[in-house]
Amino acid sequence: MNSKRSGMGLNARRNFEGWLFLVPAVVLIVCMSLIPAVMAFVTSFTTGTGANTQWGGLSNYMRILKDKVFLQSIKNCFFYLIIQVPIMLVLALILASMLNNPKLKCKGILRTCIFLPCATSLVAYAIIFRTLFATDGLINLVLTSIGILNAPYNFLAHPLSAKIVIIIALIWRWTGYNMVFYLSGLQNIDYSVYEAARIDGASPFQIFTKITIPLLKPTILLTAIMSTNGTLQLFDESVNLTNGGPANASITMSHYIYNQTFQGVPKFGYTSAMSFLILFMVAVLAFIQMKVGDKRD
Amino acid sequence: MKKKIVSILLSVTMAGMLLAGCGSSAAPQAQAPAEGGDAPAAESAPADAAEADAAADAAADTGAAAGGDNTLTVWAWDQNFNIYSINEAAKIYQRENPDFKLEVEEVSWDDLQTKLGTILGAGNYDQLPDIMLMQDFAFRKYAMQYPDMFTDITNSGIDFSQFAAGKLSASTVDGKNLGIPFDNGAEIACYRSDLLEEAGYTVDDLTNISWTDFNRIGEDVLKKTGYSLFSTQAGSADIIMQMMQSAGASIWNDDGTPNIANNATLKTCMETYKMLFDSGVMATANSWDEYIATFTSGKTLGTINGCWILASVQSAEDQSGKWSMTNMPSLAGVNGATNYSNQGGSSWFITSNCKNVELASDFFAKTFAGSVELYETILPTAGALSTWTPAGDSDVYAQPSEFFGGQAIFKDITDYASKVPQWDMGVYYTEANTALATAVTNVVNGGNIDEELQTAEDTVNFDMGN
Repeated sequence: MNSKRSGMGLNARRNFEGWLFLVPAVVLIVCMSLIPAVMAFVTSFTTGTGANTQWGGLSNYMRILKDKVFLQSIKNCFFYLIIQVPIMLVLALILASMLNNPKLKCKGILRTCIFLPCATSLVAYAIIFRTLFATDGLINLVLTSIGILNAPYNFLAHPLSAKIVIIIALIWRWTGYNMVFYLSGLQNIDYSVYEAARIDGASPFQIFTKITIPLLKPTILLTAIMSTNGTLQLFDESVNLTNGGPANASITMSHYIYNQTFQGVPKFGYTSAMSFLILFMVAVLAFIQMKVGDKRD
Repeated sequence: MKKKIVSILLSVTMAGMLLAGCGSSAAPQAQAPAEGGDAPAAESAPADAAEADAAADAAADTGAAAGGDNTLTVWAWDQNFNIYSINEAAKIYQRENPDFKLEVEEVSWDDLQTKLGTILGAGNYDQLPDIMLMQDFAFRKYAMQYPDMFTDITNSGIDFSQFAAGKLSASTVDGKNLGIPFDNGAEIACYRSDLLEEAGYTVDDLTNISWTDFNRIGEDVLKKTGYSLFSTQAGSADIIMQMMQSAGASIWNDDGTPNIANNATLKTCMETYKMLFDSGVMATANSWDEYIATFTSGKTLGTINGCWILASVQSAEDQSGKWSMTNMPSLAGVNGATNYSNQGGSSWFITSNCKNVELASDFFAKTFAGSVELYETILPTAGALSTWTPAGDSDVYAQPSEFFGGQAIFKDITDYASKVPQWDMGVYYTEANTALATAVTNVVNGGNIDEELQTAEDTVNFDMGN
């Protein structure tokens, strides 16, 4: 059918077919993401509640600066970002290079075990962590019975410990996910490079810092951007693990936006504006990371 | 070549389906808000009626498609409580109308709010069910924002004068009845009488008392038995709101602005909360399931909440006969303080998307607003306490409860309910509750009450757009 079409050279036809394959994905992205995003951007310039809205210009964006709870949620998100992402990425890197050792036995099982947390539902694991860290939960039971604590500690009722619980949960959930990226990146490093280094007398630590990390740089950059992006959009953990508490000490930006949109009187304009602020922050951070991480030019 | 053709065909159909999908959802979106009111229902009803009659028999054994004229869709959230109740109502109604069918979808309250927010925000009213249940505290919010999501049923033949006046305010706007009152949330206090006895007290000692005396007894009980008297869920200011209502004190000024920072009664509530927290008489739980566990599996020997909490109290069957019930403590030193309050409660609403308003209102007129039998069925099993006055005279209400050692609890609750002070929850109830929850958490961690209340007022003011 296509071959009979006149006036279309071989290259043009190949191109045409290539574009044809892209059509379903492009249509999906345009319908499901792009159009709603543009509409949300327009919404972010309207003020008012529910169905009674009018054009408000930049007033929503000005309003954000005065919103104490939102500013608190920004602080919380950056706290998670600065503490959790480096710990997680370093852990993932160490695990990946250990599991990449060809002499290691049961590699498949170990890899599966570390990746498995990623397959659990976000809500389910958040609720399990909430139960673990409850006043009468497993962690308190263990800590009191081995004598570290005298009385059960209410982890979720104190600002700092609540945040730490969220960080522990995040590390458990996402380390394996990032490890898989590093593992696949390591597959691309020729084993002879390592052998040569070993013959030259390099220590395992030197091999790790001088060979593995530089060669994995593009992957590290990718995971850093993805983690930053993910952390700024944290939602499930804040909602299900701590419910933002105590007193908004662990609430994330997305959680606050959700509360403002669906719990109280709906303010779609204002919440859209907050969402776009997150987009802006993610974009800026990703840009900085790419500039810092990419030394090719 | 064949493969190529197939793959091209496939991708074209996929793209086509996508576009069709976008198209069909876009069309009604544009239509729905313009129609509003109950116009679409009135239009479609007669047209469908003839068709449905013919189709009814054929469809009967296939379970009648969702669009069937005698089928109404419902959103409600509790299998053992409100879903059970409306299904029982359907059974009663079906005796006269065998074709009638209810399709109840279980939607948790949080999900329901999210769904409503999206549907209403997008103007996609045709996604609403025929009937939905709504928490009383949220009604004003929706009625103010989206007045055309409800069907006005003032003149639908339902006799609203037979409902408790205080309860009707949670479903009326400007004298128009938009909903049918359902359950009652009169505040009750339940205690384990066997454990109280161990400490040398009876329930009578905890009846008609003030929070100060309650705290004194509680400290003694805690010392002797190791049990707190009751618990609350951290991160929620429900108990503060209950205390406020028990004194008939509002957190809103008459003009709708928040009255938080300089509210003497609210300050007393905060002080009371801190006193109970510091003495350990009140335990806190981090989540709802932890909260339920505090009194079912032994950290506290009681609970103070809306009477719907009975279902959870009675879930511990091995404790049957060991419980007793009384009223809540009152605020000390506050004018108009009572031992009665309210928490929760919900009402049924016929949405503006209802295909058959006549059928839906007739259903309610003959069940929730007209059947003593229905309330007699749902009261003992679900603890759904009526706000429909004629049901209160039923013998079932006077029947002793075995779980509560022979106490006629429903008669008592009906009595409490009649003494609850009138209260305006306001449009921004959720915002105020959240702000006060933050304040109270900070106060028990050593914050200054005046400063925290000022912050809470600022937060609520901010949320109100001022």
